[in-house]
Amino acid sequence: MLETTALPGKATLAPPLDTRYHVETPEGIDLPLRPAGLMVRALAFAIDLGLRGLILGLLFMVLAFLGKLGAGLGSILLFVVSWWYMVLFEVLNQGRSPGKQWMGLRVVHDDGTPIGWSASLLRNLLRFVDMLPFGYFLGAISCLQHPTFKRLGDLAAGTLVIYREQPLTRPQLPDVPPRRAAFALTLTEQRAILGFAERQGELSEARANELASILAQPLQVSKPQAKAELNGIARGLLGPT
Amino acid sequence: MRLSDASVVIRPRTTWEAMDLGVLLSQRHRRLLITSWAIVTLPIFALLTLLLWDSPSLAVFLFWWLKPVFDRLPLYILSKAMFGETPTLKQALRQWPRLLRPQLLASLTWRRLSLSRSFLMPVVQLEGLAGEERQQRLRVLLQRNAGAAQWLTIIGVHLETALWIGLMVLFYMLLPQQVELDWGWQTLITAATQDWRWLEHLTNTFYVLVLIVWEPIYVACGFSLYLNRRTRLEAWDIELVFRRLRQRLTSTVVTLLLAAILLVPTAPNVWAAEPVISPDSPRLLEQPLTSQASRDSIKAILDRPPFKNKETVTRYRFGEDKPASDTADDRQTPAWLKALFSLLDSQRFGVLASLIEVLLWGTVIGAIGLLIWRYRDWLQAFVNRRPTLNRKVARPLPQQAFGLDLNRETLPADIAASAESLWQSNPREALGLLYRALLSHLLHDFNMALKPADTEGEVLQRIEQLQQPALLAFSKNLTGHWQNMAYGHRLPPAHLQQELCDGWRALFGTGAVR
Repeated sequence: MLETTALPGKATLAPPLDTRYHVETPEGIDLPLRPAGLMVRALAFAIDLGLRGLILGLLFMVLAFLGKLGAGLGSILLFVVSWWYMVLFEVLNQGRSPGKQWMGLRVVHDDGTPIGWSASLLRNLLRFVDMLPFGYFLGAISCLQHPTFKRLGDLAAGTLVIYREQPLTRPQLPDVPPRRAAFALTLTEQRAILGFAERQGELSEARANELASILAQPLQVSKPQAKAELNGIARGLLGPT
Repeated sequence: MRLSDASVVIRPRTTWEAMDLGVLLSQRHRRLLITSWAIVTLPIFALLTLLLWDSPSLAVFLFWWLKPVFDRLPLYILSKAMFGETPTLKQALRQWPRLLRPQLLASLTWRRLSLSRSFLMPVVQLEGLAGEERQQRLRVLLQRNAGAAQWLTIIGVHLETALWIGLMVLFYMLLPQQVELDWGWQTLITAATQDWRWLEHLTNTFYVLVLIVWEPIYVACGFSLYLNRRTRLEAWDIELVFRRLRQRLTSTVVTLLLAAILLVPTAPNVWAAEPVISPDSPRLLEQPLTSQASRDSIKAILDRPPFKNKETVTRYRFGEDKPASDTADDRQTPAWLKALFSLLDSQRFGVLASLIEVLLWGTVIGAIGLLIWRYRDWLQAFVNRRPTLNRKVARPLPQQAFGLDLNRETLPADIAASAESLWQSNPREALGLLYRALLSHLLHDFNMALKPADTEGEVLQRIEQLQQPALLAFSKNLTGHWQNMAYGHRLPPAHLQQELCDGWRALFGTGAVR
């Protein structure tokens, strides 16, 4: 959902910064994607690198006993692991290499569709451009300067690394009798009231009362009662569960 | 601080997303952050270098140690810009000495090596807390996001190193070849003892350059982590919506009051000459958003995609002369790699190895062959000299047409006689037999290319091409009656039996065999 912090009448020219990236489908539906930045991607890559090192190390140790044959097999293995590890995992595992899976990331096309063979091959072949001249120098610079955090390979292949949607747990609401608000609420306001009730565990008691007292006057209750009133409205919005 | 003025979307985010927001924040104010950082750090670095010319490592170490001093400037700029009051370069630089005062000694000594330095910096600088209050605040803040802040610093250290080495490698790669010849890597490494001091100072400069790009981003990431933590702790996003809701609900009351006041009849207006009002004249001058400002912003929007798509096309043209091709120097295989190979190079598995080699080459050749076979038609289109249009296709003879079995073996020996005998009991079958026999003859004796999809009319057209009038007349007659029978269920007249059977005998002989 599109949310802006600026007041409707005061919209400035530059829209407020957000880490969301909206893709509009032909049906006019806004898909919010959350592109992942350099830090989390660097960690995911480090995990992948370690995993590959581990696989290669173990297999090389076995192959070292096989002499010339082992050297040959080892070079084939090196080729497969260094060039195909990412591609195979990305295409066959919903855009997630083990490191990305661990960090909750996935790779998709720019329009949010699952990544295919050509895009995955391209973005992983261009890793070698990103690595120039040392240790992802170009990739890091490009990632830090791009609004959706793309490295050069992503730019060429038209791909995007995003955070996966995590399954939600059912939040606990305070147990109060449900009520109805005396005025109509927009979707954003309904969500804020629900969020207020759900997140009370994280807020301190004083802060929760302070937040509720903002709405004490329009709710026509005294300030100490505002919190219970809001919780009741949240219960009412939630409906029977 | 007014939350409604925030230039970012306030929402509780995951820690990684909060860092991404920091990167975006630093991108938006990139120029201001980088220039102010460069203006502050470059003179200090130059001073350090001059003072410590004989010990370059100490100079860069001191510079690195002083990072918290410089970090306060980007944090100030970001905290102002966050709520829409972006300072100018001059204002920011003038503020810097004042920013240094609180707890500088602590941040340069025992807090210098803290891994969550950027995350906790705003507590001192923006909230101005000290002593027990600060400790309490840190405890609350560090309950959740401490891990992320430490990861940020660890990643930052690695990134700084990678970028630093990257710049050195870039420098090495861009050296002209004449210079490169004298410089082996060994000499570079042992250079510390010789008078290569300027080289070390150069690499130190690279580090300073890296920091110009990276350190503001690091500060911004820590700042946005801090903001995110406070957003979660204090539910800023909820406060924002609540305040707006209150404004909406109370303003309706105010509007009603205003309307009541305005409806009261007032004294006649002033009669002074009013300016001519046209659509272009400035209006709404009393409010924050004037007509001029709104028009400007509309124009700015219309100048951007999707309303206007500007495109810059750059093309390369041939120059005057080609540059001389440079010779590639072949690298020697490192000794340790050779040693590894010789270690592996025992004769034990020689046979198996060569077997696999043959197998692999076989796979490659097979794959190429398969490719050629797969695209043989495509290749022929380019390679083959003879046109391939007249190629005969051996089509299998159809076994059936219109559901009639055309196989010779299913037909009786004397067709005319069996048709005659069938006519009395079952005229439909008799006609069917005749037509079926006709088709079978056409197929097998005249080699007519009948397809299962042909219709009766198409069969007749083909018969016409055979140029045999007697056959054509008979076929037309038979086909007409067969169609009447088969589709229209109309019985042929009685005299037809004799006519058709005689026709058959005349065409294909009395004992007309199958």
